[in-house]
Amino acid sequence: MSVRYVGRRLMTAVLTIGMIVLLNFVLFRMMPGSPERILLGRIPNVSSEVLQATRERWGLDKPLVPDQFVAYVGSTLGGDLGFSYGERGRPVAAVLEQHLWPTLLLFGLGEVVAIILGLALGAYSGWRRGGLIDHIGNGVSLVLYATPYFLLGMGLLLVFASGLHWFPTFGMSDVGRQYKDAFDQLIDIGRHLALPLATVSLGLVGQYAILMRSSVIETMTEDYITTAHAKGLTEGRVLRSHALPNALLPTVSLVAINLGYVIAGAITVEIVFNWPGLGTLTVEALESRDYPVLQGIFLLLSVTVVFANLAADLLYGILDPRVRT
Amino acid sequence: MRTRLAVRLGRFIALAALVAAGLVPGAANAGVQPLVLNVGTDQDLTNLNPWQSITVADYEVFTIQYELLVSYDISLQPAPGFADEWSSSDDGMTHTFHIREGMRWSDGEPATCEDARWTYQFVLDVLASEDGYVGSGYLEPYISNTGLESVECTDANTLVARTSHPTTLMDDVYIPILPAHIWSQYSQAQISNTEAEDYFANEPPVVGSGPYVAVEWEPGEFIRFARNENYWGDPGVPDEIIFRTFGGSDTMVQALRNGELDYVRGTGADEFDALATEPNIRVSEGFSNGYTMLSMNTRATQEGYNGSTSALEDHAFRDAIGYAIDRQELVDRVLNGHGVPGSTHVPPYHVKWHVEPTTPRTFDIDEANRRLDAAGYARGADGIRVDKDGKPINLRLTWPSSEDHATDAQFIQGWFEQLGIGVEAFVTDEGTLIDDLYGPPAGGEADWDMYIWGWVGDPDPGSLLGLFTTDQIEAGVNDCFYSDERYDQLFQEQLEATDEAVRKEKIAEMQQLFYDAACYHILYYDNTLDAQRTDKFTGWTNQPPESGTPLFGYGYAGYMQLQDASAVPTPGPTTAATTAPGATQAPAATTPPAGSTGSDMTVPLLVGAVAVIAVIAGGFWFTRRRGPRVEEE
Repeated sequence: MSVRYVGRRLMTAVLTIGMIVLLNFVLFRMMPGSPERILLGRIPNVSSEVLQATRERWGLDKPLVPDQFVAYVGSTLGGDLGFSYGERGRPVAAVLEQHLWPTLLLFGLGEVVAIILGLALGAYSGWRRGGLIDHIGNGVSLVLYATPYFLLGMGLLLVFASGLHWFPTFGMSDVGRQYKDAFDQLIDIGRHLALPLATVSLGLVGQYAILMRSSVIETMTEDYITTAHAKGLTEGRVLRSHALPNALLPTVSLVAINLGYVIAGAITVEIVFNWPGLGTLTVEALESRDYPVLQGIFLLLSVTVVFANLAADLLYGILDPRVRT
Repeated sequence: MRTRLAVRLGRFIALAALVAAGLVPGAANAGVQPLVLNVGTDQDLTNLNPWQSITVADYEVFTIQYELLVSYDISLQPAPGFADEWSSSDDGMTHTFHIREGMRWSDGEPATCEDARWTYQFVLDVLASEDGYVGSGYLEPYISNTGLESVECTDANTLVARTSHPTTLMDDVYIPILPAHIWSQYSQAQISNTEAEDYFANEPPVVGSGPYVAVEWEPGEFIRFARNENYWGDPGVPDEIIFRTFGGSDTMVQALRNGELDYVRGTGADEFDALATEPNIRVSEGFSNGYTMLSMNTRATQEGYNGSTSALEDHAFRDAIGYAIDRQELVDRVLNGHGVPGSTHVPPYHVKWHVEPTTPRTFDIDEANRRLDAAGYARGADGIRVDKDGKPINLRLTWPSSEDHATDAQFIQGWFEQLGIGVEAFVTDEGTLIDDLYGPPAGGEADWDMYIWGWVGDPDPGSLLGLFTTDQIEAGVNDCFYSDERYDQLFQEQLEATDEAVRKEKIAEMQQLFYDAACYHILYYDNTLDAQRTDKFTGWTNQPPESGTPLFGYGYAGYMQLQDASAVPTPGPTTAATTAPGATQAPAATTPPAGSTGSDMTVPLLVGAVAVIAVIAGGFWFTRRRGPRVEEE
């Protein structure tokens, strides 16, 4: 992989993040309603002096450019994202951090499970095209792919939580419960995680399987596969050493792109199971018009997507010699 | 290859089954767990500093942890709080409170008169300060309305308060008495300014005097209270109380059905009706202490105001269109019947103070048309009435984001069109709307015609009445610019009235005055819809019994009524399900039939089975359709 390739990718990523920061600044200042009013809410007896004091405290009395913009960029780079309106007095960074880990846990694990199951199912279906597993697997994949998260989640919740009482309905742990040991706590979180995780994995597994299947089928028609067969290699060897590595390429981009949709999925899955992650936070912040938190979420997610794409590009470079220049 | 994959798959499934078996309950849950009251709310708890309270959850949380000087019992009557006895002098200007002896804060420090004195003096200092308010600014009016001038401790257990005018409101001050040994370490700015570096957030463990104190808080997720062992009264039955915040009511209601929650605040109308018929669940429909109104810009075309027509300034016009609003229809169609048609600005929640107007505007389109004709608003060629300046009347109608208000607006638009009044209906962001509403005295441009929104009150009607005195126009609160000398005078008189009958008379006249002025058309009083499980706790009692809900009222009385259902010899609800005030009768909660879990599971299991079959069938269908094409490749 050439230095130029890496350098170009890095430049693009940095430029994109710069644009995001700029957009973040402009967007939230174009919001309707004057910021000091939003800050104060519908407080009775607010005098014009108090309004002025609020403006000064937030630097809203200074010109937008350069003063406010410089202050904004400076504090953003320093990790200071301001204070939440909704959770009064808490720094946005702390609010984001609190909700980031549950989302990472849920979607990180969900992605891993979906990738393993989806790719295995897809590869096998493609390899044994027209077989029983292919028929059922492909059909189920299509149905799962087409099912919205909240519908899937609600279905699982009704059956396994409300109906069978196997799993709890909501939350991430039993609040206030005394744990015997760390394992006990792990089991508790696991029980709460099971249904949301199943929802996320099932929601993702379909598209990975479908993509992997078609990718394998396409690869199988390539000349080098015929060559491999001609060399007398076993079927398993052809699949593992020749077909799979090439078929994997499109899925790398899909995984990267999917990270961008994490929040869209997170909102519905997390709301259904009241999972205390970024999705739930987004909805709460929208309801309480908590602009600083929304701004923070926006920044965090866009930067995540940029880095995911960068990682995909670099990984692509390693996996596929054709894009190394 | 095939066998190897099968073996691997087999191993994986075995491993997965093992993990799943560990996750399924049964193995866990050993030892004695505390008796927990789990409460679900869709409203966020924003903070633990009482001065910053905004949401109903904020208020509920501080009333559990701190005593008011004089508290409220289950009937909303004054009850012992931080003080166990209180009296006022004959002239109603000197008020003496006896602070209970031997009381301690949850950290073991003695709770004395000094704590009460510090709290009230803090508010007096705040009112006299440059800011004039602290935190969210909602608590200080309770002190300013009483005309409190000074407060002192004559001994360790006697608090004497002096007011500038006679008042009975000293028993009605909704301000928590805070532990001076903690709060006096902080300045007004540290308590008030949430963005300050050294802001006092009052994080757990909270030191309080109420029956429970917060020990753990994850903002946006949950707050956990433990029993305060130093609480002066009989201890509450739940060992712990946990409030869980939900993003929506669907999951919350499901969790109540599953027994993971014992109380749900705000079920939504559809779910409420379904829950009312379910076993082990009690529903409570309470009057809300507030209203939804149609407000009008009564200074529309005056200098500096930007309403679209002078007709809005004309009392006859505003009065006439009031006849074209079918309030019962709004209750039925928008609230699913869970509400009461609106009349005056003191809602029927205030059983003692609410009066119906003597001159009600009953729905009658013809009457509205007659009145508009008589007032000189003739229809133009296109059927639209024109105002006195010869301009067609097309009113802008807006509301802050709300599904209910959007439906309200559609109905109003339809009715007003029958009067020959055009209505342009649109939603406005709350922040923008607040900005638009303010008139020139509050530094705004009053660029609006009509809007739909609401107000919520306190145990005393004073706060709802106080919104419409003339001086509140400048404060931006009196947003229909109502100004009446008689009303202002009555407001002051009722504050100073020491005789309840006299005060009632004055408040009744204020309601009539405000109603007649047709500045607001109160559309309805929407009910609060809560639900409780009766198989874990019994003793659910509404506060007040005739028109409230068990929790989220005023004070902690509702929590102290609860009993452990497993300890009560005869299971089943001790009180009948509440009746819906003024609306449809909610079916009484039934006692649980033995072994009723089977019926609980049937529906979800059926749904699940159908879903699984559908997925498999769908799979086959898709593959069969795709089959031939695959073959051809």
